Amino acid sequence: MTAVATGLHDVVVASNEPVGDGLMRVVLSAPTLAAKIAAGQFVDVEVPGDASEILRVPLSFSHADPDAGTIEIVYAVVGGGTSRLAAMAPGDATTIVGPCGNPWPLPEGASRACLVAGGVGVTPVVACARMLSASGVAFDAVVGAQTSERLWGVEELDALGAGRVEVTTDDGTAGRRGFTTDALAELLADGSYDVVFTCGPEVMMAGVARLCRESGVRCLVSMERMMCCGFGACGTCNVAMADGSYKSCCKDGPVFDAEEVAW
Amino acid sequence: MGEKNVSMAVDLGGVRMKNPVNTASGTFGFGKQFEGFFDVARLGAITTKGCSAVPWAGNPAPRMCEVPSGMMNTVGLANPGVAGMVEQFGDYLAGLEDRDCRVIVQAAGHSVEEYVAAVEKIEELCPWASGVEMNISCPNIARGGALVGGTPESAAEVVRAVRPRVHRPLLVKMAPVRVPEIARACEAEGADALSLINTINGMSIDVRTRRSRLSKPTGGVSGPAIHAIAVRMVWEAANAVKIPVNGMGGVASWQDAAEMILAGATSVTVGTANFYDPTCASRVVDGLAAWAAEQGVADINELIGAVEC
Repeated sequence: MTAVATGLHDVVVASNEPVGDGLMRVVLSAPTLAAKIAAGQFVDVEVPGDASEILRVPLSFSHADPDAGTIEIVYAVVGGGTSRLAAMAPGDATTIVGPCGNPWPLPEGASRACLVAGGVGVTPVVACARMLSASGVAFDAVVGAQTSERLWGVEELDALGAGRVEVTTDDGTAGRRGFTTDALAELLADGSYDVVFTCGPEVMMAGVARLCRESGVRCLVSMERMMCCGFGACGTCNVAMADGSYKSCCKDGPVFDAEEVAW
Repeated sequence: MGEKNVSMAVDLGGVRMKNPVNTASGTFGFGKQFEGFFDVARLGAITTKGCSAVPWAGNPAPRMCEVPSGMMNTVGLANPGVAGMVEQFGDYLAGLEDRDCRVIVQAAGHSVEEYVAAVEKIEELCPWASGVEMNISCPNIARGGALVGGTPESAAEVVRAVRPRVHRPLLVKMAPVRVPEIARACEAEGADALSLINTINGMSIDVRTRRSRLSKPTGGVSGPAIHAIAVRMVWEAANAVKIPVNGMGGVASWQDAAEMILAGATSVTVGTANFYDPTCASRVVDGLAAWAAEQGVADINELIGAVEC
């Protein structure tokens, strides 16, 4: 659990460039937040320009650099908010709320991990790789996308010291044709992982969770929900738990143990 | 410019607030979630999330969606129960009272029996609370989902049952229907103040999947989209009763708050704006003080209901 209170931060766009088809990478100058936020947490971004869309956009980050005072976010352009964000230029100012949610936990004694990313879920997975790299935990990765045009993060994971990076695409335009779970099943057969970290479409994470359960490997999932606030005030981002209760994606998550979640 | 000389204190049916700014139930958590954004004790009052006698899980996801200039929710009054609230936030809330910010605890229920049980728990476990707000805008499960407070008769029934059990100011959070009649019914049964409006029931459909965009067919619309409707209903209520009105609905700026006061609200409540502009309520405190000074009054109370129609 983070001890840092969620707060409001003034930020300026440092760069904002496409990194794929419908995928953008924005770097925000956020000196008051970059040193406080940890891998797996997220931010809630005010995207100006349309008063009829009132809510902030919750986004995961791939890199928080306390020295540079920056936060890097790779995001998919899917709606009004992210479309306006894609149009923001270097020098544009806005605000973000953060840090929201809890970091990826590093299970005690873990020495070998596997990361599984689907689509834009790769963003917090790259942040996780950076955490593992800094902690001396060896890791492999599986990165899946619809097509090669929507694939990001492979070079970053390689640069962070991944042992193997398996790529899958739905159409076979990069790596193997198929799903991340196909590649993960083979990696798990080695039997050497202590923990799997995953973020992606819920159906993919359900598959990853099932494979991990069958292999007896702990699985940590980063969930996504529609939400209003990002700091536990609205009660709208509920995730159904296996025991029949609900937990809050922003306050209790976004990272959950896969065994807690009702898939 | 004389700003400091304007008295900002208001009396909301016995809840004595140092300024008229309050927060809407369900939009401000239990206050503590906002301490990272501003000093919550700057506010005249906060209203907690509605709590029932026992914890409620609430509705499945998705519980919210966006609509033009607003949002919809179907949280379903998910809450930790009065005892759970006290366990998690009781010390904080008691401390907030000590910091001169009034705490109004909202009671939730689906039936007369559930409201009675909730207020009895609040009386037992929340001695620090300055007031109790009873949310009668909920569906009555025993009556096929009709609003508990949807008619003057049903609103009167539940206020009558709860009133003798609440030994501190009792606010009634009204549904945005039949406002003058229901306002008078609540006043007649002994309510100390009225809070309005609650969300307006709406519906939003995904035309590709042909499904509601919420986990339930309908949900409550809130935000700037409903502000003008809310101002009208506050004005109607204030003209219908002598007890004070706690005005809310799409308040996102001091100008919106000032409109509510001119329409007849004694206190004004920031709701949905807390989600996307978490320092909004604090800025409304400053904005209202500057506005009152600019209007040349010595006391903010002079501006309550001062609209000239």
